[in-house]
Amino acid sequence: MKKIVKAACLAACSGGLVLGASVSTASANEWPTNDVRLVVPYAPGGTTDVLSRRVADLLQDELDANVVVENRPGAGSTVATGRLARGGRDVDHTILMASPGHTIGAAIYPDLAYDPVKDFVFLQNLIDIPNVMVVPADSPFDSVNDFVEAAREQGMTFSHSGVGSSIHMSGELFKTLTETNMTAVPFAGSGAALPALLGGDVDVSFENMPTVLSHIRSGDLRALAVTSAERSEYLPDVPTLAEIGEYNLDQFVTTAWFGLIAHESFPQEAQDAMSEALASVMKREEFLDFAEQLGAEPGQVGGEAFKEFIAQEVERWQEVAEQAGISQ
Amino acid sequence: MSTSSPRRIRAVRDTGDVLAGCVLMTASAILLFYLVPNYISEPPILQNPMMSPRWLPRIVGGLMLGFSFLLIVQGLLVDNTGKDDGRRIERGTRLRFAMMVVALAVYVVLFEALGAVIAGILATLILFAAHPVRIWWVYSLAFVFPAAVAFIFVKVMNVPLPLMPF
Amino acid sequence: MEMFSEVLELFLSLDNFIAIALGVVIGVVVGSIPGLTATMAVALALPFTFSMQPVAAILLLVGIYKGGMYGGSITAILIRTPGSPASACTLLDGYPMAQQGHAKKALKTALYSSVIADFISNIALIFFAAYLAKIALNFGAPEFFWLICFSLTIIISLASGSMIKGLLAALMGILLSLVGLDEVYGSQRLTFGNYSLMDSISFIPLLIGLFAIPEIIEFYRKKALPHIKAKASGVGMTLAELKRCLKSIIRGSLIGVVIGAIPGTGATAAAFISYSDARRRSPNRDNFGKGEVEGVAAAEAGNNGVAGATLIPLLSLGIPGDVITAIILGAFMVHGLTPGPIMFQENLTLIYALFVGIMFSSLVLLVVGSGAIKYFSLIADIPKSILFPIVLMFCVYGAYAVNNDTFDVWLMLGFGVLGYIFNRAAIPAAPFLIGFILGPMFEDNLRRSLLIGHNDLSIFVRGPITWFFIAITVGSILLAIYRFVSARRQLRRDTTQEAS
Repeated sequence: MKKIVKAACLAACSGGLVLGASVSTASANEWPTNDVRLVVPYAPGGTTDVLSRRVADLLQDELDANVVVENRPGAGSTVATGRLARGGRDVDHTILMASPGHTIGAAIYPDLAYDPVKDFVFLQNLIDIPNVMVVPADSPFDSVNDFVEAAREQGMTFSHSGVGSSIHMSGELFKTLTETNMTAVPFAGSGAALPALLGGDVDVSFENMPTVLSHIRSGDLRALAVTSAERSEYLPDVPTLAEIGEYNLDQFVTTAWFGLIAHESFPQEAQDAMSEALASVMKREEFLDFAEQLGAEPGQVGGEAFKEFIAQEVERWQEVAEQAGISQ
Repeated sequence: MSTSSPRRIRAVRDTGDVLAGCVLMTASAILLFYLVPNYISEPPILQNPMMSPRWLPRIVGGLMLGFSFLLIVQGLLVDNTGKDDGRRIERGTRLRFAMMVVALAVYVVLFEALGAVIAGILATLILFAAHPVRIWWVYSLAFVFPAAVAFIFVKVMNVPLPLMPF
Repeated sequence: MEMFSEVLELFLSLDNFIAIALGVVIGVVVGSIPGLTATMAVALALPFTFSMQPVAAILLLVGIYKGGMYGGSITAILIRTPGSPASACTLLDGYPMAQQGHAKKALKTALYSSVIADFISNIALIFFAAYLAKIALNFGAPEFFWLICFSLTIIISLASGSMIKGLLAALMGILLSLVGLDEVYGSQRLTFGNYSLMDSISFIPLLIGLFAIPEIIEFYRKKALPHIKAKASGVGMTLAELKRCLKSIIRGSLIGVVIGAIPGTGATAAAFISYSDARRRSPNRDNFGKGEVEGVAAAEAGNNGVAGATLIPLLSLGIPGDVITAIILGAFMVHGLTPGPIMFQENLTLIYALFVGIMFSSLVLLVVGSGAIKYFSLIADIPKSILFPIVLMFCVYGAYAVNNDTFDVWLMLGFGVLGYIFNRAAIPAAPFLIGFILGPMFEDNLRRSLLIGHNDLSIFVRGPITWFFIAITVGSILLAIYRFVSARRQLRRDTTQEAS
């Protein structure tokens, strides 16, 4: 028995050496008076999770407090968001990493118990990742125009990483705007979707930049367009969809945005402390390097402007979801 | 295989199998005729019946219905009760079983209300008492383990648990 | 030669050794705790790699991954609680062995086959990455569909006892796996409006509930039995046994390698495929499920064979095959590296340094594993009246920690009761699990194929890979029927002889 206790202690200590390096050093006089919880509404892995852990790590320095990342996956981020909206005891120390799932989820999930705009304060948009319209290297299409003309004649397939993902909704938006005949092919995440695209099983995808950037550079995939308002500095030769100027595509501007939100009752003092800390985080080299690696642009909006942006997004995706028949 | 046993001439029954078959048959019937039509919505346009969200549940339900029927038939014709498949046990006291149920209930009902540590201590103590542990110092483990494990989960590994009721 | 010294320079630093060793230790410990999976450990360790050198950072995560793969088997064998999903198959024979007083033998078998499989997997990664990556790219939805069909035939060999009950269990598993949002249309299936069910039933609570909880319930329902103290938990694995299992281990490792190289199948399926393959070939087929050394060896070889191979699509194509490799991909990106063909051109020395480290990790796993067995096998000597309450506590904490949701504790206990009823009715739990894992893959790939092929069914026979899997699926079913019929005949002959 003693030996087991000893073994348990050893194990605990060895775990503690690496994982327990974060010791709370919160100063007592102002916010934060406690550990800050950063809720990730998705499972470990994935862009949202990695970004959150990177940001939590940097925030820890800036806030001089423990920042604990908590994964709470479920129903395309709406479970975690719904829980935050309900409030609770830690609500003044809880922040959540929101992403397009926040606005799209509001559009496609039935009877959400919260309002995606009114129930939250919007702290800061951290990064924006454009989606890229990519085709396999041996695809006959060299431009968006070629593709649209062909897609009006014959049926096309596009892959996406799950119903309600920004990749899926971008495809549906493209289909609606260009009035083409396209079928969505769902996969469980981008990792599973990518081989189908590389192998030519699907005709096109509107993947997130970081997933496909290296394949575009190596020539395995061909980028036809990016979905952001401006050309991406990582793919300067690739036009934006809005540049195409035909097929209503001027209305196609969308990015996968990531930003921090909190409960509506998040104290003003905390909001100030957070925006100050986030401003310095976003200037840190580690953050900028990471953003570059993702092919992302640092986010521009915070506070009220961020909120307005969210409100527009919700409206837009509701329309797309209705037209695509995925709204229930 | 379980079929054919030397004693089949007696046409004895395996009541357990018949019962299990009946339960499963009822369940699959409910699934097929109530749950699938009411709780799985079907999109208005379908290019292929296999694309329907109802397709696989329907097939699974149908197969379950068929196999549970076969299980009933097997139970009526073949006696498997003699086989040592772990179905027979010598029962202990009712009190012990009841105490275990209480311990499980403590976890399920009070986990969030009392916090992981207190619920853990309470349930562990009940279980120690249910199958009486006669070494006195073991009872101290019921306090040490939940507290220590919860601490390691939350503080060392950063896996959140509801720690305390306050 | 110059390159060689560069690689060594990059690898030979104390940091790397510490990273691997620590990683494996953390992996083994965390993996052995029910509910805490290797995935979770890798995710939690990720932030600590931000400040490390890239090679050390990746090696730490890979170490955790490999340690966790093995660690899961420890509690599966000792307390019938799979520490990670992939070790569910190990308990089929491992736990009966521990019950018979051979805990140490089971643990050693698991360790040796894990290390051998790990080694083979690493070799495959280093020498055949490019080739295997090509297979992965040719593996589209129709190929997947047939692979799943073949895997479903495992149920036949896992349905020990009654075939009807085994199939019923598998069907129930498939049914429960369909709960949640529909993958194509996003409509709700049997969720009854419950948000916790929309992402489908969580796997970890199901796993713990199905296997660990029934043991506990049964213990408190049974008449008290005096504790039989197994002396020093038995002996280890003999050389003769290792020799006997070696073929299964190697075959299992290769199955693991192929499954691992194909993104999105997973170690759990590999373990079960390897297990049923070993069973099909073994002369003591009937002992499988009752404490057969070869069963443990095959299962562990299958799931550890996956570990090195999942890095193949990651490194050569930049495609993460499972959640863990997705996190490792994140770690690469944090350090300014993008796995994929370009990395082989630009950072070749770094890749080779990684390879050296990964090879080294097999050795570390052997050492750490042996140490762990020494202490962990003592658990088998603890009286159940003390052990089970504490196991239950771990299970509850672990189930809660998966999603931070009390609903999962409910689910776990619900599946515990279901598992208990299964035990009472002699319905095997393993086919249920297989159904649960493969059900959604079956449906998704079927529908995906139809979408890709514009509803043209010819897509299902589009190439040699599909033909191959169709052939072995049919073969596997025919073999089962042949065995069934000949067993029947044998029995009839016996009875007539008895009568006369």
